Amino acid sequence: MSAARDRILARVRSAATDAHPSADREVQVASRLAKPPSGPAPHQASSRGSARVTQFMNKLGAVEATISRVPDLSRLPASLAHELRNRNLPAAIRTGTDPMFKGLDWGAIEPSVGPGRMEEPATLSRAEFGLAELGTLVLASGPDNPVTLTFLGETHFVVLRESDIRAGFEDFWASWRERGLDPRTINMVTGPSRSADIGQTLQLGAHGPVALHVFLLGGGNG
Amino acid sequence: MSLHEPTTPAFKANARRALDDENLQLALRGGRNGFVSKRAAARDKLPEFDDLRDQARDIKNHVLANLDLYLEEYEKKVVESGGHVHWAETAEDARNIVLDICRKADAKIVNKGKTMISEECGINDFLADNGIKPVETDLGEYIIQLRGEVPSHIIAPAIHVTVDQVRADFRKAHTHLPEDRDLTELISLQREARGVLREKYFEAEVGITGANMLIAETGHSVIVTNEGNGDLSQSLPRVHIVMASLEKIVPTLDDASTILRVLARSATGQETAVYNTFSKGPRRAEDPDGPEEYHVILLDNGRSNMLGTEFEEMLRCIRCGACMNHCPVYQSVGGHAYGWVYPGPMGAVLTPSLIGVEQGGQLPNASTFCGRCAEVCPMRIPLPKMMRSWRAREFEKRLTPSAVRQGLGLWAWFAKRPWVYRRATAVGAAALRAMSGSKGRIASLPFAGGWTGQRDFPAPQGGTFMAQWKAGKR
Repeated sequence: MSAARDRILARVRSAATDAHPSADREVQVASRLAKPPSGPAPHQASSRGSARVTQFMNKLGAVEATISRVPDLSRLPASLAHELRNRNLPAAIRTGTDPMFKGLDWGAIEPSVGPGRMEEPATLSRAEFGLAELGTLVLASGPDNPVTLTFLGETHFVVLRESDIRAGFEDFWASWRERGLDPRTINMVTGPSRSADIGQTLQLGAHGPVALHVFLLGGGNG
Repeated sequence: MSLHEPTTPAFKANARRALDDENLQLALRGGRNGFVSKRAAARDKLPEFDDLRDQARDIKNHVLANLDLYLEEYEKKVVESGGHVHWAETAEDARNIVLDICRKADAKIVNKGKTMISEECGINDFLADNGIKPVETDLGEYIIQLRGEVPSHIIAPAIHVTVDQVRADFRKAHTHLPEDRDLTELISLQREARGVLREKYFEAEVGITGANMLIAETGHSVIVTNEGNGDLSQSLPRVHIVMASLEKIVPTLDDASTILRVLARSATGQETAVYNTFSKGPRRAEDPDGPEEYHVILLDNGRSNMLGTEFEEMLRCIRCGACMNHCPVYQSVGGHAYGWVYPGPMGAVLTPSLIGVEQGGQLPNASTFCGRCAEVCPMRIPLPKMMRSWRAREFEKRLTPSAVRQGLGLWAWFAKRPWVYRRATAVGAAALRAMSGSKGRIASLPFAGGWTGQRDFPAPQGGTFMAQWKAGKR
């Protein structure tokens, strides 16, 4: 289809240059791509310190997600066991190969590793970042955290280090680039799945998770 | 006849039928104020909302002025990540590209995330005609696919369907489930669809999604959803096809964030959709999931001809649906009356651009010019101004009905002669006042049955504006 490509681009180019004549189009485009400008951020994307953590938790709560705080990583299995029991879920968890989960003593919980399957009562992922601006979790796909675990788990559990919460999109993308992350998919998740397509009434649990629970790992050494 | 044959030229008859359709009116009443009040609440919670709209508008203006360069950059990034880019000049080209990819993948079932570009290209009918089963996975799209209908709203495709209708459709379609199952609660309907579609995700060989944005900096396609169906449709099948129109490009991840900040708030009143997903290329060697092939189809279908014209600004549209949610005409007749893929004010501008003013020229007339669409548009698209431009073109091409042309001619004759105009309006006002008697309202008026059939015509009070102005009432 290269002929179609050339014709489309020629039409676009002649329309763009006729309507918006500019000598340095190439330079403008290249510089914007090389050094992305960020516009004025809203105030709600500028929280700091403990207010940032509080804002993150409030925003997530407002979209029907639940949160529990876990002081250190060794306590994660006990917290997970507690949540599974409370939700009448089987004592089993599906995860990827994230180094965070390696070497944890899962106790009575039966762990399994791999991508999501048709029936997944409970899955566990680690989020790379959180955004206090919206209560959003940002996950990076790959063997560590398979993308299908995020969408096939009936209940999706997500671990997030408190120190990975950013104020908003601006400092988040800066940190993202700094960490050199380049997964196939970046998944921003804000609450369990939902739909209002039947009767214009919002119902949780459309095709993705019916429930989303976040373990917020404190102390910064998780 | 294909479902996608436009019935746009019959807008008037469509609208008449819609007004008489009790089920439709019931469904429209149910959805009427939800979107409006939720958007208003979201706007009020974000003091910088209008600044962000300006920023979003400026981003897209910059993109449109440099679209060729950004498209080339975007293509380069997709290819670098192992994906394929296909260029489609027309809907027919896009159909053939999709079919070709599906045949090579030996596909029997194709899963669909919500994509308006696929609707524009009539992909479902075309695949079905070629022995491939398309399965819509968005809950609303699934419902209308069962009903053999097309979407009536760009983000709430089944907004015209009542709950009772959904219940009946599910009983008819899901015959493998027990007949005596309880579908009283809304949630039981949603769970049933979830169960049925969960299996489909694992059966399909190809998944088709749209894209809310394409990012030139990285080669990502972005989908914005609440249900998670788009993500399952693009993660589980062996082949993922993204269908997007040229103008979906944004330069960088930061620019994408700005659009995200206004999109969900304008659409559903959410601060953000549940899932904002950025994808590029096929699965990597180490990835345990994701598609093995990643294709992007870039559709022109008339858009490059809008660039540099008075309709260029329409290409800033991010398909949030705010204009139709706030439109008194859309709210009265629903989306199907518009007769093609894009309803409401954005459809009234886009449809004549894409299928021609001869076919779509009725739609720009379906407006009271109240201006709410432009007021709420997150991309600040001057929709009424563009509808006026279409009316002018329709008039120039002599497509306007002769009664309207004669009426306009008569009005113009008076308008060009201010003295005659003032005398005539003074006489007319006095006559109307006399007709109304003491009530101040007129129940039936010759030549104005379209108005008085639904409501009384208010009789003019006092003198004409010019008479009052002269008398010093300022």
